[in-house]
Amino acid sequence: MAYLTPGDSSKRLKKIVALILVFVGVFAIRLIDLQIIQADAINAKSFEKRAVTRALPALRGEILDVNGKVLAKTILRYDINVAPSKVGPVTRKISGQTVSVPVEQVVAEISSILDMTVEDVTQKIIGTGEYAQIKKRANAAEYRKISALNIPWLYYDPVAERVYPNGAVAGNLLGFITQSGLMEGIEQAYDKCLAGVDGEESFEKGKDGIKIPSSVVTTKKAVPGKHVRLTIDSDLQYFAQQVMASTVSYLRADWGTATIIEVKTGRILAAAEAPSVDPNDPGKLSADDRRARIFQAAFEPGSTLKTITAATVVDTGLGSPNMKVVAPYGMKIPNSDGYKVTDSHIHPLEQLTMTGVLAESSNTGIMNVGKVVDWKTRYDYLEKFGLGKRTAINFPGEGSGLLNSKETWSNDGVKRYVSMFGQGISVTPIQSAMMYQAIGNQGVRLNPILVDGCEADINNFKNAEVKPGFQVISKGTSAQTLSMLERVVESGAIGKYGAIPGYRVGAKTGTAQIRDENTGKYAGPYAISYFGVAPIDNPQYVVAVTAFKSRTVGSSLGVATPFKKIMQQVLRTYRVPPSTTKTSDLPLNW
Amino acid sequence: MSAIRLDSPNRPLVPARAQLRAVSLANVRTVGRSAARQNSKLVSLLTIGALSIAFANLILHILTSGSVYELANIQQESRELNTTSQIIADEVDSLSSQQNLSNSAQKLGMIANANPVFLSIGEQKVYGKPTAALNTDGRVARNLIANSVMTVVSSGLNTAVASADAAPAAVPAGNVANPKSTSVQVISNGGVIPASPTH
Repeated sequence: MAYLTPGDSSKRLKKIVALILVFVGVFAIRLIDLQIIQADAINAKSFEKRAVTRALPALRGEILDVNGKVLAKTILRYDINVAPSKVGPVTRKISGQTVSVPVEQVVAEISSILDMTVEDVTQKIIGTGEYAQIKKRANAAEYRKISALNIPWLYYDPVAERVYPNGAVAGNLLGFITQSGLMEGIEQAYDKCLAGVDGEESFEKGKDGIKIPSSVVTTKKAVPGKHVRLTIDSDLQYFAQQVMASTVSYLRADWGTATIIEVKTGRILAAAEAPSVDPNDPGKLSADDRRARIFQAAFEPGSTLKTITAATVVDTGLGSPNMKVVAPYGMKIPNSDGYKVTDSHIHPLEQLTMTGVLAESSNTGIMNVGKVVDWKTRYDYLEKFGLGKRTAINFPGEGSGLLNSKETWSNDGVKRYVSMFGQGISVTPIQSAMMYQAIGNQGVRLNPILVDGCEADINNFKNAEVKPGFQVISKGTSAQTLSMLERVVESGAIGKYGAIPGYRVGAKTGTAQIRDENTGKYAGPYAISYFGVAPIDNPQYVVAVTAFKSRTVGSSLGVATPFKKIMQQVLRTYRVPPSTTKTSDLPLNW
Repeated sequence: MSAIRLDSPNRPLVPARAQLRAVSLANVRTVGRSAARQNSKLVSLLTIGALSIAFANLILHILTSGSVYELANIQQESRELNTTSQIIADEVDSLSSQQNLSNSAQKLGMIANANPVFLSIGEQKVYGKPTAALNTDGRVARNLIANSVMTVVSSGLNTAVASADAAPAAVPAGNVANPKSTSVQVISNGGVIPASPTH
């Protein structure tokens, strides 16, 4: 550089390079300061400003019936919200032209889609606020239609909601979940299995609400809940509920239940109630009617317990189905200050066999049968049949019934007698049904099964293990008791209304007076029952039907036909061929 | 790096002039130009390098930004498809619910036969007494069980359509649901499956 400026050009260049290097050095130091030394603090400050953290809700698992039909699932609903301050005409392109749609027309469109009145929608969108809710929990179809209108002042919040696609089918069993988190039924009992673990997502977003590229995203994955499979067959359940709804309506009863049990496994195939709650809208029924009465309601069973008294006598070897008994119309209980028990209808002294006592459902007759066994033994048998204890299902709010203590029995001579025909003790419908399961299952009482399990993959479900049962009565006693029950259906005045052509059916009727809590006296309307087993030659199913406080029919006749209809449906559903063996010919009189 | 090295403290201090020696001007110019060229190369290299990095960063940023918007679009599309799937699932749930099926069956005049008959192929036997379905107690009852989430029902169902598959063309569609003689018992050959005359 020998021109213009004097001096050494090389030195000058060196100086410039050095200067640049100094600048670079300064910047490098600053860079290190910002990127390394202060990096965490700056990042945190920046993250606070732009970070969005949102929960990733875990989907609750499904509840399925035994065939995999979904009884409860979680779906998205949409809250339709509005910013009233921003309400105005909506601009749309129609045939290539931009058109301004007036608010009135938009409101009409909204109300039509959401099935609301124009006045209702108008009322909600008026105001100066930034938030008002037009409709809660709109379904997906409504959401799709309304979001297609592109209304800039509407916004939508997706909300996970529990739905029960089959409505009230098994509603009382399934229970429900309210928005406040209140749970009942299976939803409550299996909440730990059904509920998943919520995840979390944190990210930085720009002005447009979209994630900033390469921004830090911390995601905790949501773990969905597992599924629960019931032993319930929803088609059978529906059929039984239909029958019970019609029966309760006809009888003008308080409520009714029908329980179907598979004899050899204890699996509950249907647990029908009337009234039945639609878990999608539980508020429509009273808290009492929303209950699963099959597990929760205990009542004095009446004559259906005579079967247990007869089985006890046979099993102890102190009597047989042909045992000769006299049955007067009325009978005083010994040492009871003249407490008198009568039969349901006036009749002369009858000479009945034990089988005849069951067929006639004689109170005096069963007392003469039962008194041959000491009361402590009878008490033990009742305990062995599962009375006074909750079942192994341990359904939420399940009742244990009331057997009373042995001490109470020892001091109460009346109870010792009236318990023979189902008074003075109370049972739940599931306990009653399981008593008959034991009789049908060669004397072995099993634990009832309502749930097959909890699985993440619905293909992994297997039938729940059937645990070894408890031998309540001998195999022989079971067979003899079934033969007696068959005669009830063949020859009983009411029992015969439950007969099913082609099948050998055994059953027992029950017309139980209900104790008035105020007066302590027993009176109508009655709790009427019809519990049966079929087919007798190879017992497979128990159907137990009860209507509580029947007002139009004062005997178990009111539930005999419902029993028949349900049992017929069970036999048809499970392809049980008609019986080919001959019926027992036990005498009823002597 | 002698160009920027400072004087060594051990080196004796000698007047600079004493080291001066005659060099040709051409040589000085050549050395100066060569150093300058090297330095300018370095500066250019640094500048180009920095610019390249900045440019690459910009391209990368544009590309990732585009991908994010594309991702957002796909996510939106996924949400739309989920909504569509849910709408269809709601419809299927409603149509397959027991309530809708029961009402449809009733509408079609379906009658359940309470007396099932079974054919045992192995034993070549008929189990049960075949009887015609009774219109009285066998008729499917109207639905009595509540379901507040039914969004659609089989409203399009009509007898004419249903009967087109079920009944011969000669039978008027309206007659399908009509009660037949309910007391007629189907004849069974003593519980044995009638043998085919062709075997």
